[in-house]
Order: sequence, then C-alpha cells, then structure tokens
Amino acid sequence: MSTYVALLDGGKREQSIGVKQLGPGVYEVKIGEETHRVDAFRHDYGTVSLIVDTQSYSVQLDQRESGVRVHIRDSIFPLEILDEKRLRMRRAAGKFTVEGRQTMTAPMPGKVVKILAKVGDEVREGQGIVVIEAMKMENEMKSPKDGKVVEIHVQEGQAVEGNAKLAAVE
Amino acid sequence: LIEVAMSKRRPINKILVANRGEIAVRVIRTAKEMGVRTVAVYSEADRGSLHVRLAQEAVCVGPPPSRESYLLGEKILEAAKLTKVDAIHPGYGFLSEKADFNRACQAAGIIFIGPPPESQDAMGVKTNARKRMNAAGVPVVPGSEGPISDEKEAHAYADEIGYPVMLKAAAGGGGKGMKKCERTEDFSSLWQTAKRESLSAFGDDRVYIEKFLEKPRHVEIQVFADHDGNTIYLGERECSVQRRHQKIVEESPSCILDEKMRRAMGEVAVKAAKAVGYVGAGTVEFLVDAHRKFYFLEMNTRLQVEHPVTEMLTGLDLVRMQIDVAQGMPILKQEEMVRRGHAIEARVYAEDPAKNFMPSPGRISYLRVPGGPGIRDDSGVYTGWVVPQFYDPMISKLLAWAPTREQAIGKLIWALGDYHVHGIATNISYLRAVLRHQAFVSGEYDTGFCGKYQKELLEQPDAQYEQVALVAAAVAAYRRDHDEAEAFAARAGMAQATRSNWLRIGRARSLRGAVR
Repeated sequence: MSTYVALLDGGKREQSIGVKQLGPGVYEVKIGEETHRVDAFRHDYGTVSLIVDTQSYSVQLDQRESGVRVHIRDSIFPLEILDEKRLRMRRAAGKFTVEGRQTMTAPMPGKVVKILAKVGDEVREGQGIVVIEAMKMENEMKSPKDGKVVEIHVQEGQAVEGNAKLAAVE
Repeated sequence: LIEVAMSKRRPINKILVANRGEIAVRVIRTAKEMGVRTVAVYSEADRGSLHVRLAQEAVCVGPPPSRESYLLGEKILEAAKLTKVDAIHPGYGFLSEKADFNRACQAAGIIFIGPPPESQDAMGVKTNARKRMNAAGVPVVPGSEGPISDEKEAHAYADEIGYPVMLKAAAGGGGKGMKKCERTEDFSSLWQTAKRESLSAFGDDRVYIEKFLEKPRHVEIQVFADHDGNTIYLGERECSVQRRHQKIVEESPSCILDEKMRRAMGEVAVKAAKAVGYVGAGTVEFLVDAHRKFYFLEMNTRLQVEHPVTEMLTGLDLVRMQIDVAQGMPILKQEEMVRRGHAIEARVYAEDPAKNFMPSPGRISYLRVPGGPGIRDDSGVYTGWVVPQFYDPMISKLLAWAPTREQAIGKLIWALGDYHVHGIATNISYLRAVLRHQAFVSGEYDTGFCGKYQKELLEQPDAQYEQVALVAAAVAAYRRDHDEAEAFAARAGMAQATRSNWLRIGRARSLRGAVR
C-alpha cells in the first residue's frame, strides 16, 4: 500500500490516504478508519469517472503549480497531495508566516497604472499599494499586513509579468 | 417598383470582421452559412485565436494592446482594401460605435454593417443622447446636463443631487469607466479611476454624473430598422445581474414586464431609434425603478453581447438580419415577430470571484463544454489557448432555452455544471450560485443583486464530497507515480537492448571491413 498525505485549506489540515491496486483500474483506498473499493476510469486528460463502492462521480482534476483543484458535482476542492518523501522535504523547509518582510507580487501580467504608497510609508493590512490594470480592469494590490513599505520595485506605466515583485512591506 | 428595390441593393460577398474572440467567431459562422467570404483581423497576441483559424483570410493589424491594433481604424481599413471586401462587421466594443470609423468606411466605398454615422453621433456621446431623448419626449434618468471637466464642480454637483450617484464615461459602455459613488468621501478617488479607465478604454476621459435610482432594474429593448423606414422591436432582455457594472446573466422575458409595459417600452424604443434615423440592429437600454417607471439610459448602436437571448426567443439570426439590411433588404414586420418560451444567458469569464473578480489570463489546459437540446455555447476559445491579458476576460456565453423560466434555469444550472475550464480561474460556480439564489429564482432582483448577496454567492465546497475528492486525488497520484515508474523501467530496458544491438552491428561491420 502507498501512503499519501493531502493538505487541505491551504495546509491547515492534513489527511493521510492509503492506496492499493487490486486490479486494472481498481483500487482499495483507506481514509482514516474507512476503506473503499474504488473503480477509476480515465476518460481523457482532465476527466475521471470514479465509482466509489456504488456511488458514481465524474471528477475533474485541474493540475496547477500550487497543487490540484478537484471538481466534484458542484464543489471545488483545492488541495495538495504529497507522498511521504515530499512531505518530509516540505516540513524541513519550514512554515509559512506573515512575520517579517512580506514581498507583494503581481498575481497576473498587466500594467502598473498607479502607485499609492512610497517607501517609508506606514500602511495598514488591506491598504492599497499598487494598482494594476489587466484585461481593461483596475485591481488594487493590498498590503498583506500592518507595517512599513520598504521596497517599491515598479513604476507607473510599467508592464509587469505575473509573479513580478511589486513591493515589500515589513 | 422591383427595379427601385433592386437598385438599392448592394450585394455583400465578402466581409471583414473587425473584432476578436467569441463575437468574431459568431459573425464568421453566420457569414459562412450565407456563402459570404470572411476576413479576420488579429493582433500579435491573437495569432492563435479561433477567429483567425475559421476565417478564409486573415491580416495582422498590430501589436497586442487594442489601442495599437483593434482600435486603429486606419489599419483595419488598410486590411479591408488589401483583401477587397464589400463590408466591415465591427462586432461590439472596439470600433463598433465610432462614427469617424463608420464615415471612413463610407468614404472608402465599404459598407459599415451598422447604423449611419449620424445615428452614432447622436447616441455615441451619452450626454448628447440624453439631450436628444429629452427633446423627443423619452423619459431620461436625472443627472448632469453634460460631462463635467472640473473635479470640484463635479463633486459639488454630486453633493447637491445627493448620494448615491453614478459616474459614467461620456463615451462609455460595457461598464468601463463607470463607478457608483455612495459617499462624498469616496468621490475623489472614484472620479479619478473613472476618468483613467475611460481614457484607457475609449480614448476619451469625459465623465458625467447621474442620480442612482432606487432598486433599479436594467431592462433593454432590441430594435431593428431597415433602409425603407421600417423599425421594429424584438422584445426585452433583463440584465440586472451585474458585477462591476457589467452584465453577467441576462434573460428574456423580464419578470417585471407584462404585455402592456412591453409594448409601451417597445414603442418608446422604436421612437428613440427613429429620432436618430436608425438602421440595423440596436439596443435601447432603460432603467426601471421600484415603481415600474422606466427611464432611457442609453442606446447601443451596435450588436449587443447578449443578442443570442433574443435569437433563442424569436428564432431569428440577428447577424444575418444585419447583413441583409446592409445589402438593402427589408426586415420582417412587427406582427411577424414571434416570441416563445424563456431564454437565459450566463457569461463565462476568466476571473476569480473570490478575489473581487480579478481577471485570470493564462493557458486553458483543458476545456469541455456542454451541449444538447436548448443549450447554446458561443465561445471563442479552445484547449491550449492562452487567454491574453490585453482584452476583455469573457471567454464564452452559455445559453439555455426552455418553455418556462423555471425549466430554463434548471437547464442552465446543469449545463454550467458540465462546463469545465482548467488552468485558469473562471466564474462558473459563481454563475451557478446566482441561478440558484432565491432572489433570482423569485424574479425579485435588481442591479444591486451581486453586491447585496456577495457572500452567499461565493459557494463553499460541499463537505460531503471532500472524501471523494481525496480519493480521486490519491488515486490519480498513485497512477502517476506508477506510470512514471513503469515508463522509466520500459525506457531503461529498451535503451539497453538498443545499445547492445548497435554495438553488435558496428563491431561486426568493423571486423568485416567495408563490404559492398
């Protein structure tokens, strides 16, 4: 049996899952105390038909850089699935926190239309720092914490790529 | 008589579609049906776009930003001359409501599929339109006479008429450069934003102010006119479900209209169209207040995004009608128009409702769309397409038609459930939550709907399926690891065999020497 750990709610919850193959496309899956017989039929790249005991589900697995988004019926579950080795590596790398310096990055490619704060300004959590225009809409990038602006990496009018550094708050 | 009618006709055999995305695809499809040849134009960001693939000819008109490509009338006309087209279909947005471009087409001897430029002048600048309509006896929403240039003056005016007020781009449409201002404290920043957005979207930063009506509903009337002076209305579309002042769900019939009010609004809309000498497809937008009084908002002198709602209800093809009218053919008579059942449209956007509808450009890694009786998907994308950051984030419009409203809602809900877009965020589950919401189902909703029910509309995943999600993800991970291990083993085995074979042959040859 192979064991996986699923991280839910952005890593706040964990659940371990055991998978054993019984035959072609048929698995025994153990979650907590429950054991299910699972028949998985892959239709195409993104769609899997899953029969769990007798319940039939059409499941979509949307693989992203940050993990997988599982669509079932009308619900979407963003989660990350790790084997034991990856989990150990993750634990060694330390935990996420808003303490200390926080770097703000562009969530998408776009153009900087306005900078609302300058280096040295005291800002509150949720206060707008940079305004980015993408797809004809303006979006305010907000400070992740109370603190002081220590870096501004962009200028008004500048085009930025997704994940480009915008500013840092400490 | 026949000769007179014939002489007015100018056959259209080839059309340039001056647009992109789903609407370009939509126009090209009808043109194909009519045996009309098509030319696509595209920016450098749209080389891989669907409309380029579907058209018979395609011309690149410049770099990605629309100001340097799709909004450049000269470039588009150059492409039209190069490909020797008879007509240009502007779609919606971009050049569709630019009277100057319309005139330039006329001067070049190319038919502009739309109204005469004079109608666009009269309706294009929203403040002029308001004046014209007032004069024609059409009721308008109270507000500033014209655009206000000075911020202080504008602020004072807003304070005077009382909050909430709407700040609107004089050259506007589509929610760009439109802001609702609730309090005097917010005025300055919203004013600046409205001006900036307006300049960027329309190249014009003039903004005017309107009073915000109580529980307003957005109801619009589709009108159509031909060159012989016939003007008809094709019923209404209710478009009150809006986020960021952009419509996301539209339906017809509207729940607040009865036959009498429909006729009254239809007749006013026809009057408005006639007052500006309108020809072709147009939409007269109204706000209806809590007391079911209606006010003229603006007239869109082009095909509307949500025109398929009317098409499903009437069985007509509005793009075909536009092309027919442009060729000098007459339209059907008012009494020939038939409306059946109920149609609803939901606009699928590449955006994240949980992050204040932030656009989500990027690669669509997987796309599966619903179909079946009564379902229509007007899409402009495909698996592998990268939704560019430069344009409107709408990727598709999904519609359902059924004999009753209740059935149409049910149909659209399952269809949205079968709409799968991976790789980018979309508003699909948000749209489903809208259609399920009690206020929408009851029909008692206004333009404040999305704001008022903001929290309820952001659906949380149903906890009972969490275990299944974990099972699915774990099995997928197991299979991936298993496949990788197998593939690795297979390759390793093959490499070994290959190496030894080549070595064997090579050695054998060198031992034998050059054998002929």
